[in-house]
Amino acid sequence: MSIMKKVQNLDTRIIYLLAWLFVLFPLISPLGLPIPISNDARNWYNYVENEVNDGDTVIFSLMYGTSGMPELFPMSVATMKHILEKDVKIVVVTFWVEGPLVFDTLIGQVDPADYGKVYGEDWINLGYIPGQETAIGSLATSFQNTVANDYVEGRPLSSFPIMDDIKSANDVDLIISFETGTPGAPEWLRQWNTAYGVPIIVGCIGVSVPGMIPYINSGQMAALMPGLTVSAEYEVLLSKPGLAVAGVDAVSTSHLLVVLLVIIGNIAYFMTKEDEK
Amino acid sequence: MVDLIPIWLCVFFTLGIYSILYRENPWFRIAESVYLGTAVGYAVSQDLLYIRNQWSGQWSQSAGMMLLFALTMVVGLMWYARFNKSTFYLYRWPLAIIVGTGIGVALKTVIFTQFLDQIIAQANTPFFVAGDLMGTINNILIQIMVPSVLLYFWFTGTTRDSAPMKVVEKIARYTMMAGFGSAYGYTILTRYSLLIGRSQYLLGIPPNPPEAKLAFIVIAFVMLASMIGYDMFMKKKTPEE
Repeated sequence: MSIMKKVQNLDTRIIYLLAWLFVLFPLISPLGLPIPISNDARNWYNYVENEVNDGDTVIFSLMYGTSGMPELFPMSVATMKHILEKDVKIVVVTFWVEGPLVFDTLIGQVDPADYGKVYGEDWINLGYIPGQETAIGSLATSFQNTVANDYVEGRPLSSFPIMDDIKSANDVDLIISFETGTPGAPEWLRQWNTAYGVPIIVGCIGVSVPGMIPYINSGQMAALMPGLTVSAEYEVLLSKPGLAVAGVDAVSTSHLLVVLLVIIGNIAYFMTKEDEK
Repeated sequence: MVDLIPIWLCVFFTLGIYSILYRENPWFRIAESVYLGTAVGYAVSQDLLYIRNQWSGQWSQSAGMMLLFALTMVVGLMWYARFNKSTFYLYRWPLAIIVGTGIGVALKTVIFTQFLDQIIAQANTPFFVAGDLMGTINNILIQIMVPSVLLYFWFTGTTRDSAPMKVVEKIARYTMMAGFGSAYGYTILTRYSLLIGRSQYLLGIPPNPPEAKLAFIVIAFVMLASMIGYDMFMKKKTPEE
């Protein structure tokens, strides 16, 4: 069997092994490749920096589970750090069942108390609300009717000063949503943006990006953070390098591997095609 | 010492799941089953927490509300009627309520969010963007490609077979191929991000716990040795039989 035929019938385990090596090597020994700043990262940074004003109320929503953490967690951490530096009220809520679990992990890395934020006064965690889009629509109509108690202390919402002025979507100035699927941006847009005009910025996994771009082009979505690489650029802009910056070399090498395999696969295909003729 | 248990478990289950890349094996089966069980258990606990909070927070306030709450519980329990043939028909009630409310809630704005606003944005896209060559090219492509793809899915009438439509179809096919290629590229990014994220944990890169590194080496060695060792043993045994 010729080398090219062998390449075409390559054991997939060798490709998996190569994938591991191309990821592990730059993590163990960082290459320090440059991280150019894209428009997506700049738009996200500028929006949070310039459009979020003191006194605003921001919904911070982690619409993903543990499987989305590798890609979305670094941008969630970085954005949380960014908005905690501002004098805003933060309402944490999720419509994904594993959302509270992810937020507990986030709080382990970014403690609002370190930024002088007091629970119940400056921020509150409403936890998980089941019901997908119906629940998102219900929360827009009334926070108090949709969520009885907060997630952290299990007390009625009316007992927290922060909720005195937050009754419905009309009292919210921005939604920051990080998501892997449904419910996600389309549901937020339908129930909060179109119905109440609440601006929204979305961080999403790479798979979802082609579906999100029409919303950016139409102006329905104010900013988009697509995937791990842009997340790394945002960390650079914030001057707070985290897991995304640490992993961006591995993104480059792993993509290089995919490109190489596609090229080799195509060469092998066309060369063996000639042999068959 | 007790603090190390979650770290070792985390490493074990990560490698257990990835062990499927070698082949189907008991490590993967253990990790898969435990993950599924834990995920379902966690989801049920969160749902029950929400129901309990709703009860204590507002629905236990008056007799009328308590009655309504009890009614919703009965409707909720009807989901489980699907597991028995004789009660299967009851399952259609909660299904109808969920589907009906879901569609109703979405429909009130879907026409604006995903239809009219997109058409308006398309119509407002200028062909020429002053001082931005790439923006201009981008907009011209959008103005050509979007209508082409829409026309590609126009199946009625005889004009579909006309010469201009053949050109439109070709543009539409290239547009869709570019779209699928873009989606594939982003999918690669997502899948590799997953591997990178877990690798960062396995290597104990901060803020992940550094103890994970030792667990990674030990557990990876045990798993690989057991699988490769078993395969070699079976290979040796087979010719003798």
